[in-house]
Amino acid sequence: MSNLIYILFRRLRSPMILLILVYAVSITGFVIIPGVDDNGQTWQMSFFHAFYFVSFMGTTIGFGEIPYAFTNAQRFWALITMYATVISWLYGIGVLLSVFQDSVFLHQMKTNSFSRRIRNLREPFYIICGYGDTGVQLAKSLSSEGIISVIIDPSPERINELESEDFLIPPLGLCADASQSEILEMAGIKQQNCQGIVTIANDDTVNLTVAVVAQLLNPKLRLIARAETPEAEANILSFGANEVINPFETFAFRLSLALQSSSLYCLYDWTTCASGATMNEPPILASGNWIICGFGRFGGALYEHLDDSDVKLSIIEPDRQRRDLPSGSIIGRPTEAPTLKKAGIEEASGIIAGTDNDANNLSILLTASELNPDIFRIARQNEDKNSHLFQAAEFEMLMQRGSIVANTIFALIRTPMLGDFLRIVSRFKKEKAGEVISRMIGVVEDDVPKLWEFQVTEEDTPALYKTIQTRQTTVREIFQGETLHGSNHREKSLSAMPLFMKRDDSNVLLPEDERIIRVGDRFLICGTQGAHRQMNNLLSNINLLENILSGEEIPTGILWRWMTGKNLSDEKVPRESTKKEDSR
Amino acid sequence: MNSEKVVFAFFIVLALTLNFGFFLGGMDNAEHHNIYELFAAIVVSLISTVLKVGDRTHLGAVFLATSLVADLQLIAAAIVWGVVANVYNEPLSGHALATVVSLSGGALLANIISVILLISETVSVRK
Repeated sequence: MSNLIYILFRRLRSPMILLILVYAVSITGFVIIPGVDDNGQTWQMSFFHAFYFVSFMGTTIGFGEIPYAFTNAQRFWALITMYATVISWLYGIGVLLSVFQDSVFLHQMKTNSFSRRIRNLREPFYIICGYGDTGVQLAKSLSSEGIISVIIDPSPERINELESEDFLIPPLGLCADASQSEILEMAGIKQQNCQGIVTIANDDTVNLTVAVVAQLLNPKLRLIARAETPEAEANILSFGANEVINPFETFAFRLSLALQSSSLYCLYDWTTCASGATMNEPPILASGNWIICGFGRFGGALYEHLDDSDVKLSIIEPDRQRRDLPSGSIIGRPTEAPTLKKAGIEEASGIIAGTDNDANNLSILLTASELNPDIFRIARQNEDKNSHLFQAAEFEMLMQRGSIVANTIFALIRTPMLGDFLRIVSRFKKEKAGEVISRMIGVVEDDVPKLWEFQVTEEDTPALYKTIQTRQTTVREIFQGETLHGSNHREKSLSAMPLFMKRDDSNVLLPEDERIIRVGDRFLICGTQGAHRQMNNLLSNINLLENILSGEEIPTGILWRWMTGKNLSDEKVPRESTKKEDSR
Repeated sequence: MNSEKVVFAFFIVLALTLNFGFFLGGMDNAEHHNIYELFAAIVVSLISTVLKVGDRTHLGAVFLATSLVADLQLIAAAIVWGVVANVYNEPLSGHALATVVSLSGGALLANIISVILLISETVSVRK
C-alpha cells in the first residue's frame, strides 16, 4: 500500500509545487493591492479574504467579488491569477489521472489487492498454477464443490478471462510467473488453510520449478503436478510426496485397459469422470489391427501400453526423424487416403488419431470412416474450443487433453484416497474388477454415482465417534437406512457401498460387513447423492444413529431417558446438528 | 553540482530562516511579527514538504515527519490569527498573539531538527 502512495506522490511533485507557488503569488498580490470599501475608503484585503477568493477562483466556482466590488487594479490582478490557478489545477488533475492509468501503478494495485485478499482468506483453498484448458475445467469443478481456487498464470488475457467466466465461487487470479517464490508466498502457500497446490502449466520445466519451490517453502503441502515427459515425471516424484499426472500416459493406460479389461476401464472412468455423468456401458474394443496416427508423446505412450496386449499395431508418422520409431512404421501423412490404405485401413479394427493438431485429427478420422465405415475411431482433442466439432463428429471415443487431467486431479482433490484405491485396483484381474463393477451398478442402479470419503474422528463424524466408544459397531450397521417405526421394522439399506478402508498404514479393499469400525479409520464410499446425504446425517446426528443401531426409538430429552431408563450411551448426549454438508 | 540537492537544501534552509524571522521578537508586541513572513514561511514549508515526499529511506522518513510537524504548527498559527482577525474582528494582541507566536516556535524547533538532519547527511557524505 505504501508503495502506491510513494509512486503517486513522486509523480505529483511538480504539479503540487506549481499549485502552491501560484496560490502564494496570487494571495500575496491580493493582499498588497488595495481595494475600496462601500464608503469609498481604502481597504486592505486580509490574508484570510485573499485565500478565500483565490480558492473559489482557482476551483472555478467564482462566487463573486467579495466583500466589496473590486477596483480595476484588483481586477487586473484577478485576470492574471484566474488563468494561472485554473491551469495549474487542471495540470495537477491531469497528472493524477495519468498516474492511475499507468500500467506500473495498476499492476502494483492489483498485486496489493490480491495479496490482501489471500491474507484475509479463512476458508480452505487450492493454488492452481497455469490457467489453460485444464486450469479452466479444474477451477470450475472446484468452484462447484465450494472450494476456492487461487489461480496464477503469466498471460494477462487468460487472467482477464477469469472475470467473464461463470463461477459459483469466483476464484482469485494473479498474472505472474508462478515459479518465483515471492509469487507463491503471496498466493498463500504457507498459510494454514491452503489445502494443496496444483501445477498444470503447459511447460514441464515450469511445473518442475514450482514443485521444487513448493517443497522448499512448505514441504508438508500436497502437490499435484502435470508432466508430459517421463523424465519430468520421475523428477517430480523423486522428492516429497507428490502426485504426478501425465496426460498421455493416463490416456494410453486407460485405452489399454479398454482393450484388455473393460470393467477396469469403467471403474477408472466412473470414479474420475466429471460429476453429473451417469455410468455408461464400457466400449467394446475389438482386438485385431489398430492404426496409430502420429508418433509423438501420445502415440509413443499408446504404443508402449498396447504393444503387450494382443493387438497388432501399425504406426503412421509424417516425420522420418522421430526417435524410437518402431520398425514397420509407415512414413507419410496420415491425412491422405493412400497412406491409410498402405497401413491397412480396410482391414483394421480401429484407428487412433493422435497428432497435436485438431484439424488433422478430424481429417484423418473422416477419411478413415470413408475408407472403412465400421472402423472404431478414437480422436485426440487438443483444444477446448474445438469441442463442438468433435462432438458433432460423434467419434466412438474421444480423448480431451485438458479434461483428463482436470478430472483426475479433481477426483484426487475431492477424495484423496482414490489414488491409493485405483493403484491397488489396477492390479486386479478381469474377473475381480468385473465383480466390483457389478456390485457398484447394483448399488447405484440408474443414478449418478458419487464418491466420497470420511474419517472416523470427533469433528468429522461426532455421532459415530461417540457410539464406537460405548459399543462395537460393524461396517454393515452404518449402511442401514432409516428404519420405519412401530410395527413395520423394515430395514432399508442405503444405496452405497464401501470401496476401500484405510487403517493407519494398512489398506482393505471392499471391507466386509462384519468388520469393526475403529477411531481413525478412513472409508472411501461409492453411492448415490441421496445416500451421501443420508449417511452424513447418520454419522453426525447421534439420535438418528442410535435409532438405527438399536432399532427402536430412544428418547432424546434427559427427563424421558431417566424415566424410561433407555440409554444407548451412558452420558448425556446433546442434540447435534448435521455438520457435514455435501455440496453448497 | 547537483541542482536537485541545491534546490532541496535551499528550501529547507529558507523554511527555517523565515520561520525564525517570524518567531523573533516579543510575545506581547504584535508589531514584531509580520504576517507576510508567516505567509511566506507557510508557503516555503509546504513546498519543502512536497520535495521531501517520495524518499523511502529512513532518513527521508524522518525528514518528512519533521516537515509535516512544521506545516501543522504553522497552519494552526495562521488559523488562529485568521479566526481572531476575521471572525472576532479584533486586532491581534495578548492571548491570541502569544498563541500564534508559540505555535510558530514549535514549528521552528521542527525546522531546526530538519536542518540538523540535513547537515549530518551532508557531513556523512564523503564526496
